[in-house]
Amino acid sequence: MIDALIAIFEALPYLLKGALATSGIVIGAMGLGLVMGVHMAVGQVYGNRPTRWFVGLYVWFFRGVPVLVLLFLFYFGLFALIGLNLSAFAASILVLGMTTAAYQSQIFRGAILSLPKGQLQAARALGMSDIKAIISIILPQALRFSIPAWSNEYSIILKDSALAFVLGTSEIMARSHFVASRTYHHLPLYITAGCIYFLLTWLGVRALLKLEAKVRIPGYSQ
Amino acid sequence: MDTIFFTDQLIPALNRGLIMSIKLIIPSALIGLMLGIVIGTLRTFGHSAVRKAANGYAIIFRGTPLVVQLFLLYFGLPNLGIYLDAYTAAVIGFILCSGAYHSEYIRGSLLSIKKGQFLAAQSMGFSTFKTMFNIIVPQAVRRALPGCGNEIIYLIKYSSLAYIITCIELTGEGKIIATRTFRYTEVFLVIGFYYLVLVTMASFVLQKIKERFKVPGFGKA
Amino acid sequence: MTKPKKPILRVENICKILGGKEILKSVSLSLYKGELKVLIGPSGAGKSTLLQCINFLIPPDKGRVWLEETEIQSHKKRELYTFRQQVGMIFQDFNLFDHLNALENVAIALRKVKKMSRQAARDCAVAELERVGLGDKTTLYPAELSGGQKQRVSIARALAMEPKIMLLDEPTSALDPELIGEVLSVIRNLAQGGMTMILATHQIGFTRSLADEVLFMENGSIIEQGTPEDLLSPDACTRSRDFCSRLNELYEEGV
Repeated sequence: MIDALIAIFEALPYLLKGALATSGIVIGAMGLGLVMGVHMAVGQVYGNRPTRWFVGLYVWFFRGVPVLVLLFLFYFGLFALIGLNLSAFAASILVLGMTTAAYQSQIFRGAILSLPKGQLQAARALGMSDIKAIISIILPQALRFSIPAWSNEYSIILKDSALAFVLGTSEIMARSHFVASRTYHHLPLYITAGCIYFLLTWLGVRALLKLEAKVRIPGYSQ
Repeated sequence: MDTIFFTDQLIPALNRGLIMSIKLIIPSALIGLMLGIVIGTLRTFGHSAVRKAANGYAIIFRGTPLVVQLFLLYFGLPNLGIYLDAYTAAVIGFILCSGAYHSEYIRGSLLSIKKGQFLAAQSMGFSTFKTMFNIIVPQAVRRALPGCGNEIIYLIKYSSLAYIITCIELTGEGKIIATRTFRYTEVFLVIGFYYLVLVTMASFVLQKIKERFKVPGFGKA
Repeated sequence: MTKPKKPILRVENICKILGGKEILKSVSLSLYKGELKVLIGPSGAGKSTLLQCINFLIPPDKGRVWLEETEIQSHKKRELYTFRQQVGMIFQDFNLFDHLNALENVAIALRKVKKMSRQAARDCAVAELERVGLGDKTTLYPAELSGGQKQRVSIARALAMEPKIMLLDEPTSALDPELIGEVLSVIRNLAQGGMTMILATHQIGFTRSLADEVLFMENGSIIEQGTPEDLLSPDACTRSRDFCSRLNELYEEGV
């Protein structure tokens, strides 16, 4: 029991460095997903038929294939095929980013569709081009309403980041496994890993709640 | 592209893996849903201590990665002298994890039933059990259907994690062949296709079930 | 109307404290067969709570209830369920079962509580819905009905159980003005047909024309009790009269 605690204590700095890698993966993936997701959502709501069809196909693929399979497919297969030589860390960000983009696009799409039609009509009546209207009127509202669902997506990606370890990325899971295999204290180490993920989830969700409160439009609830 | 590779090597191996995947998914989905219904009900209607325990279970299993839970069951429990084989550890892990998510949807749906529904049933002489069975459950099931249905679809995808704790299912079989032949792209595209078919079929079934139980005007509370 | 000797419903010393406040202060009343008693009074007087204590939807802290000389032992579940089958309740918010259409709403208790066969329950339900004027709306769901129609379905649902008495808790308070009339007319038919009822309401005109006795409640007690003529006629110097005039000023109802 005592040596288990000692093992955890000694491994902690090493594990926490892994938490940095995990955070990097999550921030990178969520950021990539945000940019791609907004574009895809706008394309799906306001775009022409080929655009809608393409986004639909993209979403179907990235939501239907398991993350693990996507990681293997891209890192060992497709990236190598097109000559893209990425580190496991970068590849994880890219694959997770593309996956969360599919889910985020649907979150934003739902939020955009929930706005009253009059918003766009009024913008057009004032002479705004559609692009301007979308950027200045639609998205500021839609993005605010998406924060709760986005926060949920954040916690999902945080948990999926643990899968990056199968590509060899040195994040929390990989490091816990490494230490556990050498010290045989599997149970306490994985419990510690779980606690670190828990902490990261809690911190992130709290930060997003603060953000939601900060950008809230007075008197406007959905 | 030689088709022999596909027909002689890949497809038979993947089909073998597919059967293992199905053996993982079906018990996990059914038992996980039942567990979720029990926990969700306890979280809504239970006594304070029971509620706290059930909430704690849900928070832990929703707040940590499934990989960590599987590692704990397969690699961690031996520290306590409990040795589970890969399949059992995987199924238990899937049940506990998806049970937590299901309980969240069940709890949400039970909370959304208006108090007046209880009152009306009781005022006509329905016993507590009859009220739950005839009035509350039919409404709660309809409200929980999208969430629980999606959770089962998630389970189909996350069953691929069983490979990480050495339970060789669809993904595992593919990885073995891909590592041996270096034909990663083809192998994993085919595997992706297998999962797409499974997920699309499950979504289709879910949609049909939703339509079958549809009631005009009965949406979210 | 000559009163038969024994009351069909007797309620004694009902007390209830909710949220630290004494909502009912030792309320008693007796109801005779065929009588229509009307509870009036300001919001928060305890009218709803009293009605829900009578069928133990809210268990009273103290007090006893007799139906036809038999005391109700509310802790005995089976007895309580049987008692509730004989007491019909109409709610302000209708409380129709949202997942069932009108016909099924009326039939479900007949099948599940009274154990009638599916066909018998169906026939009975259709008859009750026709009685309240909704024979052509049997397949519609609550979300597809107007407020007045919903309340009429809930009356049909209660009547199908063939209750000995009915408790109506402000049945028209949640309705738009133009829909109140259709519900009041159903209640009027019930009263004229001899149904024994306690009705809590703000509809003073209706009260004056149909009530056998008016009970004015305020702050958890019955302050005044008497015939509509005694309590509500223009020259009565009663609290009830004061209350009704104030109501009239607010709602511009012709008294």
